[in-house]
Amino acid sequence: MAKKFRVLYYVNQFFGQIGGEEKAGVAPTFEAKTLGPALGFNGLLGDEGEVIGTIICGDNYFNENKEEALEYIMNVVKEQKPDIVVAGPAFNAGRYGMACAGVANAVVDELNIPVVTGMYVENPGVEECKSKAYVVSVADSAGGMREALPKMANLTKKLAKGEEIGLPEEEGYIPQGKRLTIFSDKRGSQRAVEMLLSRLNGEAFETELPMPVFDKVEPAKAIEDLSKATIALVTSGGIVPHGNPDRIQSASAQKWGKYDVSNIDALTGEYYTIHGGYDPVYANEKPDRVAPLDLLKEFEKEGKIGKVYEFFYTTTGTGTSVGNATKFGVEIGKELKEAGVDGVILTST
Amino acid sequence: MKRKDYQIITNNPLVKENYDRVIFVDGGFQDVLIKTRDLVHSGYKLISHPLGASIRMFFSPYRSILITDKADKLDMEHVEIIENSIVSYKKQMDHRKPDEANSKDYACIDGELLKSALEEHERLSI
Amino acid sequence: MKLELRRIHIKDIQFGNETVVKDGILTINQEELVNKLKEDKRIKEVKVDLARPGEKVRIIPVKDVIEPRVKIEGEGNGFPGVTTKMAQVGSGKVNVLYGAAVVTVGDIVGFQEGVIDMWGEGAKWTPFSKTYNIVVDIKPVEGLAPHTHEETVRLAGLKAAEYIGEAGRNIEPDEVLVYEMGSHAEESKKYPDLPRVLYVEMLISQGLLHDGYIYGVNSQLILPTLLHPNEELDGAVISGNCVAACDKITTYQHQNNSVILDLYEQHGKTINFLGVILTPELTTLEGKFRTCDYTAKLCKTLGADGVIISEEGYGNPDSDLLMICKRLEKEGIKTVLITDECSGWDGMSQPLADTTEEAVAVVSTGNVSHVIKLEPADKVIGDINAITTLAGGWEGCLKEDGSLQCELNAVIGSTSEIGYHNCTVKLY
Repeated sequence: MAKKFRVLYYVNQFFGQIGGEEKAGVAPTFEAKTLGPALGFNGLLGDEGEVIGTIICGDNYFNENKEEALEYIMNVVKEQKPDIVVAGPAFNAGRYGMACAGVANAVVDELNIPVVTGMYVENPGVEECKSKAYVVSVADSAGGMREALPKMANLTKKLAKGEEIGLPEEEGYIPQGKRLTIFSDKRGSQRAVEMLLSRLNGEAFETELPMPVFDKVEPAKAIEDLSKATIALVTSGGIVPHGNPDRIQSASAQKWGKYDVSNIDALTGEYYTIHGGYDPVYANEKPDRVAPLDLLKEFEKEGKIGKVYEFFYTTTGTGTSVGNATKFGVEIGKELKEAGVDGVILTST
Repeated sequence: MKRKDYQIITNNPLVKENYDRVIFVDGGFQDVLIKTRDLVHSGYKLISHPLGASIRMFFSPYRSILITDKADKLDMEHVEIIENSIVSYKKQMDHRKPDEANSKDYACIDGELLKSALEEHERLSI
Repeated sequence: MKLELRRIHIKDIQFGNETVVKDGILTINQEELVNKLKEDKRIKEVKVDLARPGEKVRIIPVKDVIEPRVKIEGEGNGFPGVTTKMAQVGSGKVNVLYGAAVVTVGDIVGFQEGVIDMWGEGAKWTPFSKTYNIVVDIKPVEGLAPHTHEETVRLAGLKAAEYIGEAGRNIEPDEVLVYEMGSHAEESKKYPDLPRVLYVEMLISQGLLHDGYIYGVNSQLILPTLLHPNEELDGAVISGNCVAACDKITTYQHQNNSVILDLYEQHGKTINFLGVILTPELTTLEGKFRTCDYTAKLCKTLGADGVIISEEGYGNPDSDLLMICKRLEKEGIKTVLITDECSGWDGMSQPLADTTEEAVAVVSTGNVSHVIKLEPADKVIGDINAITTLAGGWEGCLKEDGSLQCELNAVIGSTSEIGYHNCTVKLY
């Protein structure tokens, strides 16, 4: 019988049976056992492969100490020499998803070992790693574990054996975004005629080249007299007061914060960045580089603008789901509108 | 040519030699596109489309583009066309280099296509 | 109009003392063919070669492909307005040497590519690896201007197809296909309840090596025009486009336009097929606006419910394709577009730079940047230097074992935008 292929499994503190949110800060460990979902997964591999061990890492630890976490994890991967790495499924847990994605990208990029994971389609981790790993589309909560594992196991078997991977809808993974040229059983003109007939008969049809959908925002009318306008400053650059009093996440933000800036002339000195997606050195040196309160205040003094709105709004853009970002936008916009703000300087990084 | 309401942005030495009203770009195809973009953003309009009609012409080291001779109001449709053309060009040339080995022939065909475009412009008497 | 395409199935080709078809074997008198073509004093040298499906033969650089035929009844043998005197084509009987093709090679400019591999991996990507090819390599006299050179090679191919087609004049066909369609009034009376469908066929119309001809008229000079589908099937449209190997419409593909044939198949059953609108793809933006408006107007005036639009080429014609689509959809006419795409080597790029939300139904005939591997050939017909051009696209595309990597855009007919081939793109 052929040698069994080797699977290394990655889970968070919860699925690794260490504990819940209170243990989210634990550093990664490796156990040569099948823990949590790895146990059931191992059973699904049958005689063909086996899970050789489980890496467990706290979600907060991973996201806040990504470099250290990955160093440990990559060392384990190098030592254990798996044929394939499996992570999650993370369902709709954002931080867990981002951790699975971080592991996946590192393993694929550095070691060229295939990775299978599972996430709910809106998990921010999907966008991070879907082009490199195979992300099985799973339910939004752990209740979907029983359906997720067989799909992940099937893909794992195919990848480990070097078999061809079918279409996303056949295999159950989220499209990686690769447009591959293949042969159809019908020539192009025949497909065109059939598509037209479907359209004429009001039947469902599927385009072979979907046009990208852009979220269009109608620009607001220009402000006629800036010298009388109240301007607010909003950023997704993760600039917060020292100590991050509201504990805004450094990635995959779950909330936003607002801070009174009516009595200061610049952010520099009292603010810093907690954003996990860029090199913080220059932003920490002078956070006004990310959100230019200093210039706005100057303009206010010179009379170029009427007033700088007293509150500054902030969150972290990196890895934040479109759903959350939309929600934040609506909430912040509502407050600004009610406060009679005329214009907003919105900065990103 | 009777009409004089055009300029030619080109990096093709043959075109430089044989035509008046030339804005010569000392650079590659992409530099011609970028010069065109700069002018479209300052209100000049495209007369001919910035790209060729076949993939082979993407590999040409030379390109000539017709624009109007006077700046007017910024036209967003023209901005979109030139910006999309730059995106297209970069994508197509992702892994490829311009086909310098045949540069003489490309210069000739680019000149011929420019001639056709000018004749077409001439036929449209606006 | 009623047109009979009477197919004589060609099962092999060979050289011999006379040009005849016997038991499905096409024999060609090489000397006679060469002499015939050399009647054109602009031609210095003609080489004729044969390539059969499965042989380890590579043909490059291909200029055009033409189906050899002879008209045995009705007006207009050959290509009226180009090689023969003007005639109204579309009616009568045509004997077709089905399975045979004349392939012209000739390096009008050094950068031409366009490869046909008759075997192996390369053969999968082109429809012309399945035909018995008579390859005609034309060397003109020195000092011809590029336009004259192009015309010489173009006409030689058409004449070769006429000469060889003549061998089928008195042969009983293996199958007879009948294409018959009356006036719009007659057909609408017969099929009052069927949706009316038009085919908009776009043609590159931009100058040297980028032209198409309708009854000999350069399509640069026309407004969009309506043809009875039989006219195109009977030689009214020929190709003068020879730098876009993967998605140019060869003359053969006009004679056998797959959109026309597949729409004809549905005529009277599910649709009322109204005809073909040939639309030039011009260079100037004003020209593009005019032809796109005019095309949409023709479709509307003719009362179309649905329209299939096929593109030719890649780059500036994408604008025309989407403009026509936009105009038609706004008029409530349902469209399906056929185009190829460029999504990069890895297929990860946004496939079209120009987009429009109205283009809801698109058939993709392949990624022109898809990389394929071609094995070394035993024999190369045409110009060995053209392989250097083919292989000169990037570093490392020529492998040590003599095989080469090329993008689909170098392969004749691989991503045919009239949907003549089977390539498509799926999202993985």
